[in-house]
Amino acid sequence: MLAIGKFQTSAQKRYTIRIAAFTIPYVLVNMGAIFGAFDEVGANPVAAWLLALVVAAPVVGQIWALLALMAESDEFVRGLLARQFIIAAGLAIALFTGWGFGESYAHAPHAPGWLVLPLFWAMFGLTTVFVRSTR
Amino acid sequence: MKNRLKLLRVERGWTQEQLGQVLNVSRQAVNALETEKHDPSLDLAYRIAAVFERPIEEIFENPHR
Repeated sequence: MLAIGKFQTSAQKRYTIRIAAFTIPYVLVNMGAIFGAFDEVGANPVAAWLLALVVAAPVVGQIWALLALMAESDEFVRGLLARQFIIAAGLAIALFTGWGFGESYAHAPHAPGWLVLPLFWAMFGLTTVFVRSTR
Repeated sequence: MKNRLKLLRVERGWTQEQLGQVLNVSRQAVNALETEKHDPSLDLAYRIAAVFERPIEEIFENPHR
């Protein structure tokens, strides 16, 4: 449960800046990939893996930003975020695992592994609406 | 956990934000305590008791009694 605008604590303001700092490069690199900026990289396996790791790196930053917010917040916000994080991660893992088995057994269309990130954040957004208590 | 926090806060004419500043917690935390969405740690319960100069059990209802 993050407050917005003037109701944000200083920890929440820092979180907003940090999450933007890690998400904007992630989006920009992926936009570049969509428009063909890295098409030639695929020919070189080392460069291709390097690109994959560079694109994935901001994800670690996003998780760090969330953990830093928990560390800098009071006990209620920390407990609430922990609960929301665990539920969101659990839902994302369960849904993606289910889809994976759908691919194996039911010929479901292939879903690339990187989709787990937007799936997790979608689940996290959902939990912030429905999970409002630490109890 | 049932409590008299809102009553005590209003008696002093404090907003949730002001009580949060005194307790060094967010306004959201004060709201969550008042609406029973968060059970305070022992440390926070003692801080609240100290601010209002009352025993903990005069502020929080003991659910085990």
